[in-house]
Amino acid sequence: MTRDSRQCPAVRIAGLRKSYRGRPAVDGFDLEVRRGETVGILGANGAGKTTTVELVAGLRRADAGRISVLGLDPVRDRAALRQVLGVQLQESQLHGALTVGELMDLYGSFYPAPRPRGELLELLELRAQERIRFEHLSGGQQQRVSVALAMIGRPRVLILDELTTGLDPAARRRMWRTLDTLRAEGVTILLVSHAMDEVERLCDRIVLLGAGRVLASGTPAEVAAAAGAATLEDAFVALTGDSPREQETPR
Amino acid sequence: MTAAQDASALTAPTGRPRRPGARALMMLARAEGKMIARDIAGLLTPFALPLLILLTSASGASRQEVVAGRTVLDLYVLPLVLVMVLAFVGVLNMPSFLAYYRKAGILRRLAVTPASPVLVLLAQALVSAVQAALGILAAAVVAALAFGANPPLHLWSALGALVLIAAAMYATGMIVAAVAPSPSAGVAIGLLGFLGLGALGGMFGGRDSLPGPLAEIGALLPFGAGVDALGAAWAGQPLPGQALVALAGAVVVGTVVAGALFRWE
Repeated sequence: MTRDSRQCPAVRIAGLRKSYRGRPAVDGFDLEVRRGETVGILGANGAGKTTTVELVAGLRRADAGRISVLGLDPVRDRAALRQVLGVQLQESQLHGALTVGELMDLYGSFYPAPRPRGELLELLELRAQERIRFEHLSGGQQQRVSVALAMIGRPRVLILDELTTGLDPAARRRMWRTLDTLRAEGVTILLVSHAMDEVERLCDRIVLLGAGRVLASGTPAEVAAAAGAATLEDAFVALTGDSPREQETPR
Repeated sequence: MTAAQDASALTAPTGRPRRPGARALMMLARAEGKMIARDIAGLLTPFALPLLILLTSASGASRQEVVAGRTVLDLYVLPLVLVMVLAFVGVLNMPSFLAYYRKAGILRRLAVTPASPVLVLLAQALVSAVQAALGILAAAVVAALAFGANPPLHLWSALGALVLIAAAMYATGMIVAAVAPSPSAGVAIGLLGFLGLGALGGMFGGRDSLPGPLAEIGALLPFGAGVDALGAAWAGQPLPGQALVALAGAVVVGTVVAGALFRWE
């Protein structure tokens, strides 16, 4: 391994563009995320957040620009990337008739050295649900299972899209503690969120998107200060012209 | 060292990305099997309908000898029932599952793991094969024990024909899975396909009762061709070339069309 490849950023995005039927969803997006950093991606609905993370995860092909995750191209190096990337998608389901334990065994079988089932059950506080079918879980429990499966392959980079949408306050805080554990392990996290308190609590830096472009970036305090706002939520409203709470979509 | 090797070295000590192999496939097949087993209607329907046809048709058919000690039951009814099992599993059940997986985002979720969604197709094929084998076994045992049905005179030809029919039905089902925009559409198109193939293949009273052109078309479709091939194996005759070409053609056409139209999302 060369000195350069060890030191390359966890995620590097340059000049990223993606359009749907001629309408730009991501329009010249640049971002560099250091290893071990947690970066929040914020923006109104349709700002290009989910498209961006789908491009990073290799679920879509960019029209232009470059993406590199730990030095890997999401499309060309797909097989290698899947080994080091964990993804919790905003809109996806799991096999509903399988129990939590069975899902963990199934997804664990896809990786060379998965986290043990017991460790994940403890970490996500799912021990009591181990033998319950996924379709019978509450929304919050299903969300925790999704995160557990995103973590199961010991990813070096983790993408979390709408991590805590629909969770009650206690469940959100439990989820934040889980992320603290991952951050302590040095996992790089890309967090898509509408919750200002969440990104302030978890993220080293944030990127605020509008119409596929970066409107502001920096630490939450820097973004608020640059917008001349007292809080990040005020900055969001000032920069996007919309309230983040109105953006939240029920699951 | 390349970037790919660098990244994989973070998790895989061998230095090369390890693709999920036989163990992942078996785990996925086991999961698919559990899902089917936990859906009682889905589990029993492929067995129930063919067995019902067998029970209502076998009694009279088992007394009419046609050739070499083989009866109407052996040469027409049992082949029809076995092809029904394969058509039910391949054309109706499998596409419904895939359409549901696509709609629910399960394929999309799998696409971000090292397991390619192609693994899902293989697992589905394995589970469908087991389900079809159990259905065929159940029909054959009931036919033999309750109605004195005889084994095929050319056993290996019959087994080969069953494999080819299964492949043809699965390929046809893949077309359904590829074009169905939703799970309910998958069931509707699959049911239409199953009944259409069955009607032209002699499921409702034999192909002889169909108008000539329709009977000829039916003989070229997987259901009718399958019944002809199995009937020949039971009678100890060579498998008819037309039926083999029709079945092989269905495999090729189904694979090509589904490959061109199939989408994971």
